[in-house]
Amino acid sequence: MNVASRLPNPPAALAERPMQSARESVKPPFLGFGLGLRHQHYDEILNGNPDIDWFEVISENYMLPGGQPLRTLDRICERYPVVMHGVSLSIASTAPPNFGYLQGLKDLAERVEPKWISDHLCWTGVHGKNLHDLLPIPYTNEALDHVVSRVQLVQDFLGRAIVLENVSTYIQFNNSEMTEWEFLSELSRRSGCWLLFDINNVYVSAFNHGYDPLAFLNGIPPDRVVQFHMAGHSHMGTHIIDTHDHPVCEDVWDLYVAAIKRFGRVSTMIERDDNIPPLDELLLEVNRTREIAERVLPQAGKPAG
Amino acid sequence: MSDFARQQADFQRGILTGDDAVLTEILDSPREKRETLYGVYRFAYGSRLVEAMRNDHELLHLYLGDETFDEMGHAYVKARPSEHPNLRWFTQGLPEFLRDAEPYCNHPALSDLAALEKALNDAFDAAEGPVLELTAMSAFAPEAWPDLKFQPHPSAARLDLSTNASAIWLALKNDETPPDAAALDEPSRLLIWRQEVTPMFRELPTEEAMMWDEAANGIPFGVLCEMLATYDDPDSAAARGAGYLHGWITSGLLTAVSA
Repeated sequence: MNVASRLPNPPAALAERPMQSARESVKPPFLGFGLGLRHQHYDEILNGNPDIDWFEVISENYMLPGGQPLRTLDRICERYPVVMHGVSLSIASTAPPNFGYLQGLKDLAERVEPKWISDHLCWTGVHGKNLHDLLPIPYTNEALDHVVSRVQLVQDFLGRAIVLENVSTYIQFNNSEMTEWEFLSELSRRSGCWLLFDINNVYVSAFNHGYDPLAFLNGIPPDRVVQFHMAGHSHMGTHIIDTHDHPVCEDVWDLYVAAIKRFGRVSTMIERDDNIPPLDELLLEVNRTREIAERVLPQAGKPAG
Repeated sequence: MSDFARQQADFQRGILTGDDAVLTEILDSPREKRETLYGVYRFAYGSRLVEAMRNDHELLHLYLGDETFDEMGHAYVKARPSEHPNLRWFTQGLPEFLRDAEPYCNHPALSDLAALEKALNDAFDAAEGPVLELTAMSAFAPEAWPDLKFQPHPSAARLDLSTNASAIWLALKNDETPPDAAALDEPSRLLIWRQEVTPMFRELPTEEAMMWDEAANGIPFGVLCEMLATYDDPDSAAARGAGYLHGWITSGLLTAVSA
């Protein structure tokens, strides 16, 4: 089903909006040290008011008609700053833009009033199919031009700059013309999107493709990064699979220290997607992100305002 | 078609069909061959979707066991690739698939069990709507009652099952041994809805199911009572109708009444 084809003349609808100058957009605020919201922790959060600076919610989990997920989200939003993180924007897909999806995202953003909206630099399908995976792209000029124009379209539709995350990749294409960090930097510079730097994903991709994660880190412009993800993975010996179902490993903690030194004060969160442990266990990791930041950057501890 | 678009089509076809053409555009890594690395995407595709099916159909999974469920899940993934950006809707076609596809179509309780789980999932996150209170009914004078029309709550849905799948569902839910699957002489008529945040279902007597279906179609109370009179004792038809209505309102099944 092509949702876009059911909507009347989307380009005309877009043209009526004043072009938003995403490149001029104000950098999102520092939120402190947060956690990915998971339904297993709903009761504990609502009954306990744990000391977490902010939550990231998976947009698609709440792009629903109604019921308990949205009611719970409303209550979380009353108490904590929230950012929205999607998995289906498919920003790098060569399929036509899905305006039905974008409208759903925009409707949810009106309800949540997130500090920002993020997704991944990847694609999830073409020809009407959705593979529900974060699929890799070649780092070519053709791909860059395509993604820049797609980011601009999405930013115009949403009326705000978006944030894009580097994904873990397992393969590289032989037609790439630049590195992943060159691609991300150029994408951010040309489109005005901000960057979500997933430190685990940098580690995973660097191992899988045999480069130094610090080369990636040092190749990203410091002023474009507004969020860090910290997560765990599964090591297969010859390659690493990004499962986000383990505690953060020591190598990734080391890379976090290097990232703070380069990027300074950045909103940081623990992202566990599977094998969800009790909240207390994740709070230990959240506290460690805070402690390390306070040690490396003594002024880093408190969110602004 | 641009080269980028062509490459994405090849990459996707390699995952969906096992075609290896895209491998010529992928590099070996310093430690691993491209087939293995690309294989991570191939494996993740099926396993992620089957995992989503396990989450949506917990009791069907319990009923079939890991091996049979996953085999069925992979067959479903192959037959009906996801076309919606939200994984929430991927399993919507499962009851229909189980009803039509060999060998599952030979076991109609499977399709019924999936249909019941789907209906409960749909009630869980269905649209919000006001819940009609009993006090609202006292606003109507007796002579207005025959013209009253009722609007079901947005979460309410009807489902007819041809097997004892609701008994199987109940046993699995309670950690009990499910009864043998069996076809029913008369369909089992279920009403599914959400009370506060909890999905519920209840089996309706034939007469009440008829009245619910007609009421949901906008038939006024007076006509509903005339219909009830053809089902059973005409003298008590209005009282039976009022009884069913009372039950619907106190269960939160109605969202509005209008004269």
